[in-house]
Amino acid sequence: MIEILKKTWWKYVTVLILLYVLIGGLLVPLAPGIASIYPINFASDTAVEFTFTGYNTHFQDAKDLQIWFKNGTEFYCADKTETITNEKAKVTFSFPFRNTQKLIGTNFDLVINDNQDGTIHLGDAVTVLPHQPADSTTDSSALKPSCEHAASITKLSHFTFPYREILYQSIRNTFYHVPMWFAMMLILIFSTVYSIRYLNKGNIEDDIIASQAVNVALMFGALGLTTGMFWATYTWGKPWPNDPKLNGAAVGVIIYLAYIVLRGSLTDEIKRAKISAVYNVFAIVIFTLFIFIIPRLTDSLHPGNGGNPAFSKYDMDSHLRLFFYPAVIGWCMLGFWVLSIGVRIKLLELKKSSK
Amino acid sequence: MSKIIPFIISLFLSISAAAQGEQTSSNLMRSNLKIYVVVGVLLIIFAGIIVYLLALDSRLKKLEDNSN
Repeated sequence: MIEILKKTWWKYVTVLILLYVLIGGLLVPLAPGIASIYPINFASDTAVEFTFTGYNTHFQDAKDLQIWFKNGTEFYCADKTETITNEKAKVTFSFPFRNTQKLIGTNFDLVINDNQDGTIHLGDAVTVLPHQPADSTTDSSALKPSCEHAASITKLSHFTFPYREILYQSIRNTFYHVPMWFAMMLILIFSTVYSIRYLNKGNIEDDIIASQAVNVALMFGALGLTTGMFWATYTWGKPWPNDPKLNGAAVGVIIYLAYIVLRGSLTDEIKRAKISAVYNVFAIVIFTLFIFIIPRLTDSLHPGNGGNPAFSKYDMDSHLRLFFYPAVIGWCMLGFWVLSIGVRIKLLELKKSSK
Repeated sequence: MSKIIPFIISLFLSISAAAQGEQTSSNLMRSNLKIYVVVGVLLIIFAGIIVYLLALDSRLKKLEDNSN
Protein backbone atom coordinates (compact mmCIF):
# COMPACT_ATOMS: atom_id res chain seq x y z
CA MET A 1 0.00 0.00 0.00
CA ILE A 2 2.77 2.44 0.93
CA GLU A 3 4.34 1.80 -2.48
CA ILE A 4 1.13 2.85 -4.24
CA LEU A 5 0.78 5.90 -1.99
CA LYS A 6 4.31 6.97 -2.94
CA LYS A 7 3.60 6.89 -6.69
CA THR A 8 3.13 10.27 -8.37
CA TRP A 9 0.78 9.61 -11.30
CA TRP A 10 -2.42 9.36 -9.28
CA LYS A 11 -1.71 12.72 -7.67
CA TYR A 12 -1.87 14.33 -11.11
CA VAL A 13 -5.16 12.49 -11.65
CA THR A 14 -6.40 13.93 -8.33
CA VAL A 15 -5.52 17.45 -9.43
CA LEU A 16 -7.25 16.97 -12.79
CA ILE A 17 -10.43 15.59 -11.20
CA LEU A 18 -10.58 18.37 -8.60
CA LEU A 19 -9.98 21.02 -11.28
CA TYR A 20 -12.83 19.55 -13.30
CA VAL A 21 -15.08 19.61 -10.23
CA LEU A 22 -14.10 23.16 -9.21
CA ILE A 23 -14.27 24.75 -12.67
CA GLY A 24 -17.26 22.81 -13.97
CA GLY A 25 -19.16 22.93 -10.71
CA LEU A 26 -18.81 26.71 -10.53
CA LEU A 27 -19.35 27.58 -14.20
CA VAL A 28 -22.40 25.55 -15.17
CA PRO A 29 -25.38 27.94 -14.98
CA LEU A 30 -28.54 27.40 -13.01
CA ALA A 31 -31.72 26.39 -14.80
CA PRO A 32 -34.40 29.04 -15.40
CA GLY A 33 -36.65 29.69 -12.46
CA ILE A 34 -39.11 32.18 -11.00
CA ALA A 35 -37.35 34.47 -8.57
CA SER A 36 -40.23 36.49 -7.13
CA ILE A 37 -43.82 37.59 -7.57
CA TYR A 38 -45.61 40.75 -6.40
CA PRO A 39 -48.11 41.07 -4.74
CA ILE A 40 -48.03 37.82 -2.83
CA ASN A 41 -51.70 37.72 -1.94
CA PHE A 42 -54.99 38.84 -3.40
CA ALA A 43 -58.59 39.09 -2.35
CA SER A 44 -61.01 36.85 -4.13
CA ASP A 45 -63.41 38.52 -6.53
CA THR A 46 -60.87 41.13 -7.59
CA ALA A 47 -58.71 41.29 -10.65
CA VAL A 48 -55.08 41.66 -9.63
CA GLU A 49 -52.08 42.41 -11.76
CA PHE A 50 -49.11 40.35 -10.65
CA THR A 51 -45.58 41.22 -11.68
CA PHE A 52 -43.08 38.41 -11.51
CA THR A 53 -39.40 38.16 -12.22
CA GLY A 54 -37.65 35.14 -13.58
CA TYR A 55 -34.05 34.06 -13.41
CA ASN A 56 -32.28 33.01 -16.63
CA THR A 57 -35.66 33.00 -18.35
CA HIS A 58 -36.61 34.02 -21.92
CA PHE A 59 -40.17 35.30 -21.62
CA GLN A 60 -39.80 37.58 -24.62
CA ASP A 61 -37.78 35.33 -26.90
CA ALA A 62 -39.86 32.28 -26.19
CA LYS A 63 -42.92 31.22 -28.11
CA ASP A 64 -46.13 29.91 -26.54
CA LEU A 65 -45.64 31.44 -23.11
CA GLN A 66 -48.30 29.88 -20.90
CA ILE A 67 -48.96 30.87 -17.30
CA TRP A 68 -51.15 29.12 -14.78
CA PHE A 69 -51.94 29.31 -11.14
CA LYS A 70 -52.13 25.88 -9.64
CA ASN A 71 -53.95 24.79 -6.53
CA GLY A 72 -53.63 21.13 -5.70
CA THR A 73 -54.29 19.41 -8.99
CA GLU A 74 -56.43 22.22 -10.45
CA PHE A 75 -54.99 24.66 -12.97
CA TYR A 76 -56.42 28.19 -13.31
CA CYS A 77 -55.66 30.34 -16.33
CA ALA A 78 -54.53 33.94 -16.17
CA ASP A 79 -56.81 36.51 -17.77
CA LYS A 80 -54.11 38.49 -19.50
CA THR A 81 -50.36 38.05 -19.95
CA GLU A 82 -47.87 40.73 -20.88
CA THR A 83 -44.11 40.31 -21.16
CA ILE A 84 -41.92 43.27 -20.27
CA THR A 85 -38.44 41.85 -20.62
CA ASN A 86 -37.00 38.37 -20.82
CA GLU A 87 -36.94 38.18 -17.04
CA LYS A 88 -40.05 40.19 -16.21
CA ALA A 89 -43.69 39.69 -17.06
CA LYS A 90 -47.09 40.83 -15.89
CA VAL A 91 -50.11 38.67 -15.52
CA THR A 92 -53.65 39.65 -14.59
CA PHE A 93 -55.54 37.10 -12.62
CA SER A 94 -58.93 37.11 -11.00
CA PHE A 95 -60.93 34.61 -9.13
CA PRO A 96 -64.71 34.22 -9.02
CA PHE A 97 -66.24 34.68 -5.61
CA ARG A 98 -68.56 31.74 -6.00
CA ASN A 99 -65.66 29.30 -6.17
CA THR A 100 -63.51 30.71 -3.43
CA GLN A 101 -65.08 29.44 -0.25
CA LYS A 102 -62.95 26.32 -0.04
CA LEU A 103 -59.87 28.05 -1.42
CA ILE A 104 -59.64 31.06 0.91
CA GLY A 105 -56.43 30.91 2.83
CA THR A 106 -54.83 28.40 0.50
CA ASN A 107 -51.78 29.02 -1.62
CA PHE A 108 -51.47 28.97 -5.37
CA ASP A 109 -48.38 27.81 -7.20
CA LEU A 110 -47.25 29.74 -10.25
CA VAL A 111 -46.48 27.52 -13.25
CA ILE A 112 -44.94 28.86 -16.43
CA ASN A 113 -44.31 26.93 -19.60
CA ASP A 114 -42.56 28.06 -22.73
CA ASN A 115 -40.42 26.48 -25.40
CA GLN A 116 -37.11 27.98 -24.20
CA ASP A 117 -37.25 27.64 -20.45
CA GLY A 118 -39.29 24.46 -20.17
CA THR A 119 -41.82 24.20 -17.38
CA ILE A 120 -40.84 26.24 -14.33
CA HIS A 121 -42.62 26.53 -11.07
CA LEU A 122 -42.81 28.69 -7.93
CA GLY A 123 -44.40 26.84 -5.05
CA ASP A 124 -46.94 28.66 -2.82
CA ALA A 125 -46.51 31.86 -4.81
CA VAL A 126 -49.72 33.69 -3.86
CA THR A 127 -52.33 33.37 -1.11
CA VAL A 128 -56.07 33.88 -1.54
CA LEU A 129 -57.55 36.35 0.95
CA PRO A 130 -61.24 36.52 1.86
CA HIS A 131 -63.60 38.42 -0.37
CA GLN A 132 -63.89 42.18 0.21
CA PRO A 133 -67.36 43.46 -0.84
CA ALA A 134 -66.16 46.96 -1.72
CA ASP A 135 -63.87 45.61 -4.43
CA SER A 136 -66.38 43.43 -6.21
CA THR A 137 -65.84 45.01 -9.60
CA THR A 138 -64.83 41.93 -11.52
CA ASP A 139 -66.89 40.89 -14.45
CA SER A 140 -67.64 37.34 -13.47
CA SER A 141 -68.20 36.28 -17.07
CA ALA A 142 -64.49 36.71 -17.75
CA LEU A 143 -63.50 34.27 -15.05
CA LYS A 144 -62.51 30.80 -15.96
CA PRO A 145 -62.84 28.59 -12.89
CA SER A 146 -60.56 26.00 -14.33
CA CYS A 147 -58.91 25.64 -17.68
CA GLU A 148 -57.23 22.79 -19.39
CA HIS A 149 -53.55 22.38 -18.75
CA ALA A 150 -51.83 21.85 -22.04
CA ALA A 151 -49.72 18.79 -21.47
CA SER A 152 -46.70 20.18 -23.31
CA ILE A 153 -44.21 19.97 -20.48
CA THR A 154 -41.03 21.02 -22.20
CA LYS A 155 -37.73 19.35 -21.45
CA LEU A 156 -34.71 21.62 -21.35
CA SER A 157 -31.92 21.07 -23.80
CA HIS A 158 -29.40 23.33 -22.01
CA PHE A 159 -26.84 21.96 -19.59
CA THR A 160 -27.84 23.45 -16.24
CA PHE A 161 -28.10 22.67 -12.56
CA PRO A 162 -31.60 22.61 -11.07
CA TYR A 163 -33.04 25.85 -9.73
CA ARG A 164 -34.29 25.19 -6.21
CA GLU A 165 -35.96 27.69 -3.91
CA ILE A 166 -33.95 28.38 -0.72
CA LEU A 167 -30.86 26.65 -2.16
CA TYR A 168 -30.40 28.64 -5.38
CA GLN A 169 -26.69 28.80 -6.30
CA SER A 170 -25.63 27.09 -3.09
CA ILE A 171 -26.78 23.80 -4.66
CA ARG A 172 -23.17 23.72 -5.90
CA ASN A 173 -22.09 22.92 -2.35
CA THR A 174 -23.19 19.38 -3.21
CA PHE A 175 -19.72 19.02 -4.75
CA TYR A 176 -17.83 20.58 -1.84
CA HIS A 177 -19.64 19.89 1.43
CA VAL A 178 -21.13 16.43 0.81
CA PRO A 179 -17.91 14.72 -0.43
CA MET A 180 -16.17 15.73 2.82
CA TRP A 181 -18.29 13.11 4.61
CA PHE A 182 -17.79 10.54 1.86
CA ALA A 183 -14.03 11.05 2.11
CA MET A 184 -14.15 10.84 5.91
CA MET A 185 -16.13 7.58 5.79
CA LEU A 186 -13.89 5.96 3.17
CA ILE A 187 -10.72 6.89 5.02
CA LEU A 188 -12.16 5.63 8.32
CA ILE A 189 -12.98 2.28 6.68
CA PHE A 190 -9.42 2.22 5.35
CA SER A 191 -8.17 2.94 8.86
CA THR A 192 -10.25 0.11 10.33
CA VAL A 193 -8.87 -2.32 7.74
CA TYR A 194 -5.33 -1.42 8.80
CA SER A 195 -6.22 -1.70 12.50
CA ILE A 196 -7.52 -5.24 11.88
CA ARG A 197 -4.38 -6.00 9.89
CA TYR A 198 -2.31 -4.77 12.82
CA LEU A 199 -4.20 -7.00 15.25
CA ASN A 200 -3.61 -9.98 12.93
CA LYS A 201 0.04 -9.45 12.03
CA GLY A 202 1.42 -7.07 14.64
CA ASN A 203 3.27 -4.95 12.10
CA ILE A 204 3.80 -1.44 13.53
CA GLU A 205 3.56 0.11 10.04
CA ASP A 206 -0.09 -0.86 9.87
CA ASP A 207 -0.70 0.94 13.16
CA ILE A 208 0.94 4.09 11.77
CA ILE A 209 -1.24 3.99 8.66
CA ALA A 210 -4.38 3.48 10.74
CA SER A 211 -3.62 6.38 13.09
CA GLN A 212 -2.67 8.75 10.29
CA ALA A 213 -5.86 7.82 8.46
CA VAL A 214 -7.88 8.83 11.53
CA ASN A 215 -6.09 12.20 11.57
CA VAL A 216 -6.98 12.88 7.93
CA ALA A 217 -10.54 11.65 8.49
CA LEU A 218 -10.86 14.11 11.39
CA MET A 219 -9.70 16.91 9.11
CA PHE A 220 -12.51 15.99 6.72
CA GLY A 221 -14.91 15.71 9.64
CA ALA A 222 -14.02 19.21 10.85
CA LEU A 223 -14.38 20.56 7.31
CA GLY A 224 -17.70 18.76 6.89
CA LEU A 225 -19.03 20.18 10.14
CA THR A 226 -17.89 23.76 9.53
CA THR A 227 -18.93 23.93 5.87
CA GLY A 228 -22.22 22.35 6.86
CA MET A 229 -22.78 24.92 9.60
CA PHE A 230 -21.93 27.73 7.21
CA TRP A 231 -24.30 26.43 4.54
CA ALA A 232 -27.06 25.77 7.09
CA THR A 233 -26.86 29.37 8.36
CA TYR A 234 -28.07 30.66 5.01
CA THR A 235 -30.46 27.87 4.02
CA TRP A 236 -31.92 26.37 7.20
CA GLY A 237 -31.70 29.68 9.06
CA LYS A 238 -29.26 28.76 11.82
CA PRO A 239 -25.90 27.01 11.99
CA TRP A 240 -27.06 24.14 14.16
CA PRO A 241 -30.71 23.24 13.70
CA ASN A 242 -31.72 20.36 15.89
CA ASP A 243 -31.20 17.70 13.29
CA PRO A 244 -30.33 14.05 14.06
CA LYS A 245 -27.77 13.90 11.25
CA LEU A 246 -25.88 16.89 12.67
CA ASN A 247 -25.88 15.58 16.21
CA GLY A 248 -24.88 12.13 14.98
CA ALA A 249 -22.00 13.57 12.96
CA ALA A 250 -20.81 15.59 15.97
CA VAL A 251 -20.85 12.50 18.19
CA GLY A 252 -19.00 10.57 15.46
CA VAL A 253 -16.26 13.20 15.28
CA ILE A 254 -15.96 13.25 19.08
CA ILE A 255 -15.56 9.44 19.12
CA TYR A 256 -12.54 9.79 16.85
CA LEU A 257 -11.17 12.74 18.84
CA ALA A 258 -11.23 10.35 21.79
CA TYR A 259 -9.12 7.96 19.68
CA ILE A 260 -6.44 10.65 19.36
CA VAL A 261 -6.59 11.40 23.09
CA LEU A 262 -6.35 7.67 23.85
CA ARG A 263 -3.24 7.34 21.70
CA GLY A 264 -1.70 10.40 23.30
CA SER A 265 -2.23 9.03 26.78
CA LEU A 266 -0.35 5.75 26.19
CA THR A 267 3.41 5.92 26.06
CA ASP A 268 4.30 2.29 25.46
CA GLU A 269 4.40 1.78 21.70
CA ILE A 270 3.07 -1.79 21.51
CA LYS A 271 0.37 -1.20 24.11
CA ARG A 272 -0.71 1.99 22.37
CA ALA A 273 -0.93 0.27 19.00
CA LYS A 274 -2.95 -2.66 20.34
CA ILE A 275 -5.43 -0.70 22.46
CA SER A 276 -6.03 1.92 19.82
CA ALA A 277 -6.51 -0.74 17.14
CA VAL A 278 -9.23 -2.40 19.20
CA TYR A 279 -10.82 0.99 19.95
CA ASN A 280 -10.74 1.84 16.24
CA VAL A 281 -12.67 -1.28 15.29
CA PHE A 282 -15.40 -0.48 17.82
CA ALA A 283 -15.41 3.20 16.85
CA ILE A 284 -16.30 2.52 13.20
CA VAL A 285 -19.33 0.54 14.33
CA ILE A 286 -20.59 3.33 16.59
CA PHE A 287 -19.77 5.94 13.94
CA THR A 288 -21.81 4.06 11.30
CA LEU A 289 -24.66 3.77 13.77
CA PHE A 290 -24.73 7.50 14.49
CA ILE A 291 -24.22 8.67 10.90
CA PHE A 292 -26.30 6.22 8.89
CA ILE A 293 -28.78 4.40 11.08
CA ILE A 294 -30.13 6.78 13.74
CA PRO A 295 -30.82 9.70 11.30
CA ARG A 296 -32.80 7.30 9.12
CA LEU A 297 -35.11 6.36 11.99
CA THR A 298 -36.33 9.92 12.52
CA ASP A 299 -37.01 12.92 10.34
CA SER A 300 -34.07 14.96 9.22
CA LEU A 301 -33.49 18.09 7.19
CA HIS A 302 -30.85 16.25 5.20
CA PRO A 303 -31.96 14.50 2.05
CA GLY A 304 -31.90 10.74 2.23
CA ASN A 305 -33.04 10.49 5.84
CA GLY A 306 -36.26 9.81 7.65
CA GLY A 307 -36.86 6.70 5.59
CA ASN A 308 -36.51 8.15 2.11
CA PRO A 309 -33.54 7.03 0.08
CA ALA A 310 -30.81 9.49 -0.84
CA PHE A 311 -29.87 9.96 -4.48
CA SER A 312 -33.54 10.09 -5.43
CA LYS A 313 -34.58 12.11 -8.44
CA TYR A 314 -35.58 14.96 -6.13
CA ASP A 315 -32.16 15.30 -4.56
CA MET A 316 -29.95 14.73 -7.56
CA ASP A 317 -30.39 15.19 -11.24
CA SER A 318 -28.24 13.75 -13.98
CA HIS A 319 -26.31 17.01 -14.42
CA LEU A 320 -25.43 17.18 -10.73
CA ARG A 321 -24.33 13.56 -10.77
CA LEU A 322 -21.89 14.30 -13.58
CA PHE A 323 -19.95 16.46 -11.12
CA PHE A 324 -20.91 14.85 -7.82
CA TYR A 325 -19.37 11.42 -8.42
CA PRO A 326 -16.04 12.85 -9.67
CA ALA A 327 -16.09 15.21 -6.68
CA VAL A 328 -16.41 12.27 -4.27
CA ILE A 329 -13.56 10.43 -6.00
CA GLY A 330 -11.40 13.57 -6.21
CA TRP A 331 -11.76 14.60 -2.57
CA CYS A 332 -11.16 11.00 -1.41
CA MET A 333 -7.99 10.86 -3.48
CA LEU A 334 -6.85 14.18 -2.02
CA GLY A 335 -7.40 12.62 1.41
CA PHE A 336 -5.17 9.68 0.54
CA TRP A 337 -2.54 12.08 -0.78
CA VAL A 338 -2.44 14.02 2.49
CA LEU A 339 -2.56 10.71 4.37
CA SER A 340 0.46 9.38 2.48
CA ILE A 341 2.53 12.43 3.49
CA GLY A 342 1.69 11.89 7.15
CA VAL A 343 2.49 8.18 6.97
CA ARG A 344 5.84 8.82 5.30
CA ILE A 345 6.85 11.38 7.94
CA LYS A 346 5.86 8.92 10.70
CA LEU A 347 7.80 6.10 9.07
CA LEU A 348 10.89 8.33 8.88
CA GLU A 349 10.51 9.18 12.56
CA LEU A 350 10.20 5.46 13.35
CA LYS A 351 13.28 4.60 11.30
CA LYS A 352 15.33 7.26 13.06
CA SER A 353 14.25 6.31 16.56
CA SER A 354 15.03 2.62 15.95
CA LYS A 355 18.57 3.38 14.75
CA MET B 1 -1.96 16.69 21.63
CA SER B 2 -0.05 18.43 18.84
CA LYS B 3 -2.50 16.84 16.42
CA ILE B 4 -5.64 17.99 18.17
CA ILE B 5 -4.63 21.63 18.54
CA PRO B 6 -4.70 22.46 14.80
CA PHE B 7 -8.02 20.62 14.55
CA ILE B 8 -9.55 22.65 17.36
CA ILE B 9 -8.06 25.92 16.10
CA SER B 10 -9.44 25.36 12.61
CA LEU B 11 -12.83 24.44 14.06
CA PHE B 12 -13.04 27.62 16.14
CA LEU B 13 -11.68 29.82 13.36
CA SER B 14 -14.33 28.71 10.96
CA ILE B 15 -17.10 28.82 13.56
CA SER B 16 -16.19 32.39 14.40
CA ALA B 17 -15.98 33.19 10.68
CA ALA B 18 -19.44 31.78 10.22
CA ALA B 19 -20.73 33.70 13.24
CA GLN B 20 -19.30 36.95 11.90
CA GLY B 21 -20.85 36.25 8.54
CA GLU B 22 -24.21 36.08 10.25
CA GLN B 23 -23.96 39.62 11.54
CA THR B 24 -22.03 41.64 9.01
CA SER B 25 -22.30 39.99 5.64
CA SER B 26 -25.70 38.37 5.84
CA ASN B 27 -26.89 40.46 2.91
CA LEU B 28 -23.81 39.62 0.87
CA MET B 29 -24.32 35.92 1.52
CA ARG B 30 -27.94 36.09 0.41
CA SER B 31 -27.22 38.25 -2.63
CA ASN B 32 -26.81 36.87 -6.13
CA LEU B 33 -28.83 33.78 -5.26
CA LYS B 34 -26.49 32.78 -2.42
CA ILE B 35 -23.44 32.22 -4.64
CA TYR B 36 -21.18 33.60 -1.86
CA VAL B 37 -22.19 30.68 0.35
CA VAL B 38 -20.32 28.47 -2.14
CA VAL B 39 -17.35 30.84 -2.02
CA GLY B 40 -17.38 30.67 1.78
CA VAL B 41 -17.52 26.88 1.81
CA LEU B 42 -14.59 26.68 -0.61
CA LEU B 43 -12.57 29.11 1.53
CA ILE B 44 -13.27 27.02 4.67
CA ILE B 45 -12.11 23.85 2.87
CA PHE B 46 -9.00 25.63 1.57
CA ALA B 47 -8.19 26.99 5.04
CA GLY B 48 -8.71 23.57 6.64
CA ILE B 49 -6.38 21.81 4.22
CA ILE B 50 -3.75 24.54 4.65
CA VAL B 51 -3.92 24.21 8.46
CA TYR B 52 -3.44 20.44 8.16
CA LEU B 53 -0.50 20.88 5.78
CA LEU B 54 1.10 23.39 8.16
CA ALA B 55 0.84 20.83 10.97
CA LEU B 56 2.51 18.21 8.75
CA ASP B 57 5.15 20.75 7.76
CA SER B 58 6.06 21.51 11.36
CA ARG B 59 6.44 17.80 12.09
CA LEU B 60 8.72 17.35 9.11
CA LYS B 61 10.74 20.37 10.22
CA LYS B 62 11.23 18.85 13.66
CA LEU B 63 12.44 15.66 11.99
CA GLU B 64 14.91 17.60 9.84
CA ASP B 65 16.20 19.57 12.81
CA ASN B 66 16.82 16.37 14.78
CA SER B 67 18.74 14.72 11.96
CA ASN B 68 21.24 17.58 11.79
